[in-house]
Parts: sequence; structure tokens; C-alpha cells
Amino acid sequence: MKIDPELCIACEACLPYCPMAAISMKDDMAVIDEDECVDCNVCLKSGVCPVDAFVFEPAPWPRSLRATFSDPRTEHKETKIAGRGTEEMKTNDVTGRFHRGWVGMGCEFGRPGIGTRFRDVDKVAQVLAKHGVEFEAKNPVTFLMEDPKTGKIREDVLNEKVLSGIIECLYPIDKFEEIMDALKEVAKEIDTVFSCEVINRADPDGSYPLRKLMDKLGISYRINGKQCVGLGKPAADV
Amino acid sequence: MTHTLHRRGSAESLSEDYVMLMIQAIGHNEEGHIPKVQEFLRIALRHNAINIGSVSMGGMIDKAEEVIANVDKVGHAVFGNPEDVTAVLKEVKEADLGISVVVSGIYEKVDGCLEKAGLKHHTGNFSLGVWGRTEKLPEDEILEVTTMCGHALIAQNLVKEMVKEIKAGTKTPENAAKLLAPQCACGVFNTSRAAKLLKAMADK
Repeated sequence: MKIDPELCIACEACLPYCPMAAISMKDDMAVIDEDECVDCNVCLKSGVCPVDAFVFEPAPWPRSLRATFSDPRTEHKETKIAGRGTEEMKTNDVTGRFHRGWVGMGCEFGRPGIGTRFRDVDKVAQVLAKHGVEFEAKNPVTFLMEDPKTGKIREDVLNEKVLSGIIECLYPIDKFEEIMDALKEVAKEIDTVFSCEVINRADPDGSYPLRKLMDKLGISYRINGKQCVGLGKPAADV
Repeated sequence: MTHTLHRRGSAESLSEDYVMLMIQAIGHNEEGHIPKVQEFLRIALRHNAINIGSVSMGGMIDKAEEVIANVDKVGHAVFGNPEDVTAVLKEVKEADLGISVVVSGIYEKVDGCLEKAGLKHHTGNFSLGVWGRTEKLPEDEILEVTTMCGHALIAQNLVKEMVKEIKAGTKTPENAAKLLAPQCACGVFNTSRAAKLLKAMADK
């Protein structure tokens, strides 16, 4: 994203709109720190600029990743996947992606509102790979891996900054404690935050085995969450 | 897409915050899904939806018909109490639309809604919170507002600006919440809850 210096009237109205706080005043004009900007397009799409001074031109690879990961209204041209993640558990009643006895896990880097470089995503992905997780093939971060068996993300994208990027993976429930311990350790080595989530198929009585396990292990989870209620058709056999 | 999972706040505040969405399963039931998602949104409007939206249009409760006309893969609706969620679940179940439905909110409250609607949990998604350099995060009261846009498109500085304006008397909490809402691209921002949270910050 750029600001046209010929048009900017230095009204400062746009400054608070940037989720990365990458807009500032310099020499009586609003300027964007391009290294910190994630091309989310919030400034442009908010319509806050009274003189339409924001200019967005699609960037070449690898900077192109910024817009596709940061603006949910754009599609991943490189991955051919829309959005930053997948349908994950939302459609599990139809897709059957998450079976009983398994845990789906998502680590959403940069969220909430901090942003992330792919080098931090890389650190965590490599640790998870060592513990044998299966990365979701249709996830855009998986697409950036040199090899999903190692979790290593390609060198040329490591410095790119995005509003958020999600690692999505799957593992048997008996590995949950081990994975949580590994995640706690590697979380100390990163320079950003990630929001962590786990997914579990309910038992026939409506209870969640993973919830019982988290209670037993003393792993805390928020009082609010998300549930697929099984109205999708055709119903998956999971 | 975990955009409605990690909403933060106290039990009291979150008890006024529920998001429902209807989403097609790519490769399974996308054919003819749009009228079904449109019907879901119309049901939501009949039961006091605070906001509705889709990724293509964002949230625009004031222009609900425009949102419905342009809906694509996903329809979102926000509610302020379990009674409305229960009523919508009952109607959606009765309509038998065959498209996946997800409810976000306090488990205990949502469990009650499902029971009353004659539904059971299928798959759950649990938030384990924020890990890593949490010292970089803004204050909790700011996060309670910003996390109502799961794509993090609402800037913390914009929330602070709104609080300043409420304090200065240049905006009401309701007007400030309405200004924040369109930044959320999916229409899952709860304007009623946001107005209360902004007012509480301004009253300090």
C-alpha cells in the first residue's frame, strides 16, 4: 500500500485505522512503513481518506503473500485457495475431516492484531513436524512448506509479514500432551503471538473426549468456543 | 478460518455475544447452496440478529437485503441472547437446509440452546488462548472489542480513538460501534456489545 504524496492533505484521519500502526506523519504528510505494512487494505477500503490518496498495486512474489494472507476478501493466487485457512471443523458434519480419536489443531500466528513474519511460523511448524503431525494439505501455510514432512517454510518468504497465518494439523489424541509440551517450549522462541485452538469430534452422547483430557491434564481453555451442530448433508460417517 | 472462535471477555459480557454461520462444504454440497444461505439469513433477521454478513459484502445490518442478495459461500449472523439463538436453531432445523451450521458462544449457554432445539454437538472447537510474546498485546478491554473481528481488521488505535471521542462527547457509544463494524469484513462484529464495552472504557 502507498499514499500518493501529491494527493495527501495531511489530515491524519487514516492514522488510527491501520491494524499494524504502520501509518505515521513525516514532513507534514502521511507515510506508510512498507516493511511493517501487511497490505490488508483496511486503510483503502475504510474509505476514510477524503481525497482517495491510498494506492494499492498488486505486488510480485513474495510480497504478494501479504495481501492474500491479510485481506480475507482476496484469494490466494499462488495456492488457489480463498482465505487464510480452510473450512476446518465448520463442515466436519459433511466432510468428515476430523474423526473420533483425533485432534485437529490450529496455531494462528499474529492474531490478535500483532502480525507475524513467516520465520516465526517456520520455527513452530518444524517443531510440530518432528512430533509427527499431519499438516493440512489445503492450508495456504502448508503450500509454503518446502516439505510438509519437515515443516520447513521456503527461504524466500520468511521475512514477509502478514496479519495472520494459520498452521492447521492433525494428530491422534494420545499425542495431545506431548504436542502441548512441545508447543509451550517453542512458543518461548518466537517474536510474535499465536492463538491456539483444538478441534474434536464429539462422542455419540455429545461429550468431547478432548475436553475431558484437557480437564485431566489441567490445560485451560476459554469458556466460549465454536460448535458444528450437525445439520449439513450428506452426513459424513465420522 | 477461525474467525469467530477467539472472542475475549468476561462471562457476563460474552453471555450477550453469539455468532451463527452457515457454510457450504466445497466438493460436497455447494450446488444450490446460495438460496439456502439466504434463507438462513432471513431466519436470523426474524429473530433479532444484531448483525448479518458475508465475506463478499461485510456486515451491514442496515442494508440486510443487499447482504442477502450478494451472499456467497458463507452467511454470518450475530445475536445477543440464547433465546434468539435457540429460535433460529429450531427454524433452521425445521427448514432442513442441509448446509453446515456452526454456533459460537459460551459452551454452557450454547449447550442449552442445542438441547432446546433438539440438536446435539457434532464437532467442537476450543480456544486455548494466546501463546508467545503476549506482552505485545494491548489491554484486555481493547482486545474484547478487536477480537470481535476474527480477521483482526479492527485496529486497536481505532478503538482507542473511539473511546476518546465518546469521552469528548463527539460520538455516542452506539455511533462509535457502528463506525467500527464495517471494518470487520465478515459481519461478525457485535455492535450492541461493542457499544457497552466502549462506554465502559470511556466512563473510566
